[in-house]
This record gives sequence, C-alpha cells and structure tokens, in this order.
Amino acid sequence: MKTNQKKAWLFLAPTIIFVSFFSIWPIIRAFIMSFQSGSLINLSWSGFSNYQYIFKDPEFWLAIRNTILYALISVPVALAISIMLAWFIFSKVKNKALFETTFFMPYVTSTIAIGIVFRYIFNGEYGMLNFILRAMHLPAPNWIDDPAMSLTTIIIFGVWTSLAFNIVILMGALRNIDPNYYTIADMYGATGTEKFWRITMPQLVPTIAFLLTMNIIAAFKIYTSVYALFNGQAGVGNSATTAVFYIYNKFQIVGTPGVAMAATVVLFIIILFVTFLQRKMMKKIGGR
Amino acid sequence: MKKIRWGTLIAYVILVIFAIITIFPFVYMILGGLMTFQETTKIPPTLIPKNPQWGNFSRVFAQAPFARYFLNTFITASVTTIVSLFNALLGAFAMVNLKFKGKGIIQGILLSLLMVPGEAIIFTNYNTIARLGLLNTYIGLVLPFLTSIFYMYYLQSYFGSISETIYKAAKINGASDWEYIWRILVPMSKGGLFTVGLLSFISGWNSFLWPLLVTNEDSMRLLNNGLTAFASDAGSETELQLAAATLTVLPILILYFIFRKQIIRGVVRNDLKG
Repeated sequence: MKTNQKKAWLFLAPTIIFVSFFSIWPIIRAFIMSFQSGSLINLSWSGFSNYQYIFKDPEFWLAIRNTILYALISVPVALAISIMLAWFIFSKVKNKALFETTFFMPYVTSTIAIGIVFRYIFNGEYGMLNFILRAMHLPAPNWIDDPAMSLTTIIIFGVWTSLAFNIVILMGALRNIDPNYYTIADMYGATGTEKFWRITMPQLVPTIAFLLTMNIIAAFKIYTSVYALFNGQAGVGNSATTAVFYIYNKFQIVGTPGVAMAATVVLFIIILFVTFLQRKMMKKIGGR
Repeated sequence: MKKIRWGTLIAYVILVIFAIITIFPFVYMILGGLMTFQETTKIPPTLIPKNPQWGNFSRVFAQAPFARYFLNTFITASVTTIVSLFNALLGAFAMVNLKFKGKGIIQGILLSLLMVPGEAIIFTNYNTIARLGLLNTYIGLVLPFLTSIFYMYYLQSYFGSISETIYKAAKINGASDWEYIWRILVPMSKGGLFTVGLLSFISGWNSFLWPLLVTNEDSMRLLNNGLTAFASDAGSETELQLAAATLTVLPILILYFIFRKQIIRGVVRNDLKG
C-alpha cells in the first residue's frame, strides 16, 4: 500500500518557502543579472557583454590568480600540517582532549577579530613575528605594507585558521579506525612509521578527500580574512584582491551588479566543478 | 625502546610549538588590550603590560556604541538560531517520519542546494532585501537565514537513529504529530538540538559579509562590522583595537570552553555525514 501523507508539506512549508525565496530565486536572479547591465534599479539586457568585460579585465584575472594560488598553496600545506598534528595527538598523547580543545579554538572565534590581532603580529616594525625572525637572524619582510608579500601573509593566516577544522575532523576519523589493525601490526613488529603509512593513511583517504574539497571551496570564497588583515582593503594597491573582493567591489562600490554577477557565475561554476571532481575521486578511491 | 622515546619527544615538541602558535594571537590580543599605546608599539615588543589598563575597555565603549553592537548581535544570532532550528525540526520530522509523494525530489533539491556557496547568492539576496525596504532592520539581517538546509539535514540523520516503532507506538496511543514532535522527538534528541543551536549561534555571532551589506547605520551594526569600522576609525590606537577585539571574541571563547565537548563532537558528526 502506498501512503501519501500530504500533511508533510505543512511541516516542510517554512523550509520550502524560505529556500525558494533566499536560495533558489537568488541563483536564478544571479544568472539573469549576469546578462544585464545598468544600476540595480535600472537593468537592461546586454547579452554576453558582462562576461566579455570580466574576461578582458586584468583586475578580474588578478583576483582569480590570487584566489587559485591561495587555494593551491594554503590547502595542501594546512592539510599536511593537520595530518601530522592529528597523528601525533592520536598516537603519542595521553590528554588528547587538551590539545583538541586548544587547536579547535580558531574555528569558533571571529576571523575579523583575530585578523586584526594578526595585523599587529605581522607589523613590519613592532610586530611580534618580525621580532622573532630578527632574533633568529632571518629576513623580516614587511608583511602588511609590501604588495609583494600580501599573498604570502594571507596564506599564512589561512593556514593558521584552517588547522582547527581539519585536526578535529581527522581526529574523528582516526578514532574510527579499527584498533585491531594496530594490534595485529604490533604482533608482526611493525614500526610506527610503517603503521602510519600502511594502516592509518589508507584509512584516512576518504576523510582527506572530504577535507580537500571543503578546504578548496572555502579557499575560493576567501574574503573576510583579507578584509581583516588589510583593514578593509585587498592589500596595498589591491595586490591581494580575491574573487569575492572583486564581486563585492563591482556590486557595491562601482555599482555594476551585472559585472559582479557574471563574476559570481564564473566562481560558482569553478566551485561546482571542484565539488564534482571530488565526487568522482571519492567514488574511485572509496570503491563504493 | 630508546628510538620510540625520541619519537614521542619530537612529537611533543612539535605539538607544543603549534599549540603556542595557535594560542599566541589570543594571548597577545588580551594582553595587548590591557597595554598603553606606547607598550603596544614598542620595539622590541613586550608581552606583559606593566600596569593593566582596564580603562581601555571603557574608552572603547565611550568611542563606539559597542553595547549596541552586542545587543544587535545577540538578537540576530538568537533569532536566527531559534527560528532556523524550529523550521529544521519540522522539516526533518516530515522527511524522516512521513511518507509522501515528491519526497525524493525535495531531498534531491535540498541536497544540491547544500553545494551552493553562500557568497554566490548573498548579493542577489541583498537586492531582495533592499527592494523590500528592509535595509538597516533586524528583519533584513535575519530573514535569509531563517532556514538552514544544513541543520535540517543534520537533524534528519539524528532523528533517523530513533526507531520508527516509537513513532508508530505514539500514533497508536493517539498522539498527534505535533505532540510526537514536542513530547517525544525533542526530548529524545535534546543533545543534537542543543549542539546544532550552539553551532548556529556561534556562526551567527561571527557573521560578517551579510551584515556588512545590509546595514550602514551605526546603530544597526553587528559586532564584527562595528569592530572593523572601529579599527579604521581608531586607526592609530592599537591598544583600543585589541581591547575591542577581545570584547568580540571573549563571549564566544567562554561559551566554547563551557561546551567544548558538545561543540567538537557536533562538528565531527556534522561533517562526516554531510
């Protein structure tokens, strides 16, 4: 017997209404607007001109270049450090909760507030970081005010912020590995390194693939941390502009929403593509 | 044996170094907020203020309406949390316990919407809110965030673990769906609801881009936006900026230390299932 309990729609109504207005409609609207030009109150059709504009705009390419570089460098670095730290906590430490609690702190705290703190730590003259670097006789660059350094500064801050989530998720995955594997490996006299590469890493692959996607998607949306580090700017002379910065700037400051939406659509497609790739990868690796 | 001990030692050293790197910005923020201006910009830098300048905090409150920012942030984060949790609860109940035509389609649409990045829709949502004349209002601040597909999905997996026979037994005993939700489902999944609520409140507290778009009046700003505005206005007064940052972060840090177990467990569960 097939039942059709229509009252379900009543329970789903608030979700469906809000989702239609604030998730589905804005996507459609963004696509439409990307083919329109003029100000928000006075839009008219203009075909592909917004797309032509952004693909010719050097600032757009700088934004995309910065965003991709940021994602390609900060994500693997942060993930490698996270795996190392999670494995150390898991395999060597008794009081795991203490380290987990410590490393997770950046996840719950405001990026803006911590970004402001980092602005002072990174300060070229009186910053704590350069003080330490000078004490170790290492070069002490001008992290904030040198346009050539701004991307590096963002990457360091990005790695610092993303460790939290990675470590906690990896710890969860490590706890799920069947302890019998390790017991058997011990019986055969496996070393710690062998256990890590032969048991732990293969078991972590799905989690790492998941974190990779989550991190890359988050990296493509980077905005807030740049805003905080450079006091509302995208670095000196816009040197650290990112995709979302470009969109915000075109939408709110320059007042060309069509151009902003064309850039949004491009970013959206990149993110969908990454998600799609990950799904494929997971299917191949996970074999399920 | 000796080899293993060395490994443990190195692991501890690396862990402690990274733990210090993680904590240092927080320590520097709190201590820097208590320094004088000269101390914050001293070369070489100092860490411990000679005389803690508690007055910095009152100067922050005097220079910018931080009390108002607190109130605004508290209101928006609470309303978003309560309403979106309520909607997610009803939706998740329907998806788990009821059978209806179109369920698969709804589930498919919602799951694919999970992949849509918030940044892709935030600007067109701004357009909607502006047209409704809701800029600089509480309603405008919360409206697009009153449902969360993510939390609904999370609750679905939570409710799915409650046996269906309980729902059937409740129905046989004459309970309505509404009674089942409030007298059985909610009490049985208190832990999950609480965790989702906490995570939602924290992300509401830390929101930045949306309130930046829809508010430009000082009286309607949220903490993070107030903080950035303050940081550019009080450009040279480093110690006040750090004090203001401390004010923004501290409430959440306290919440975090009280409920760290629930929060961490919630995040792990959330994301491995998603």
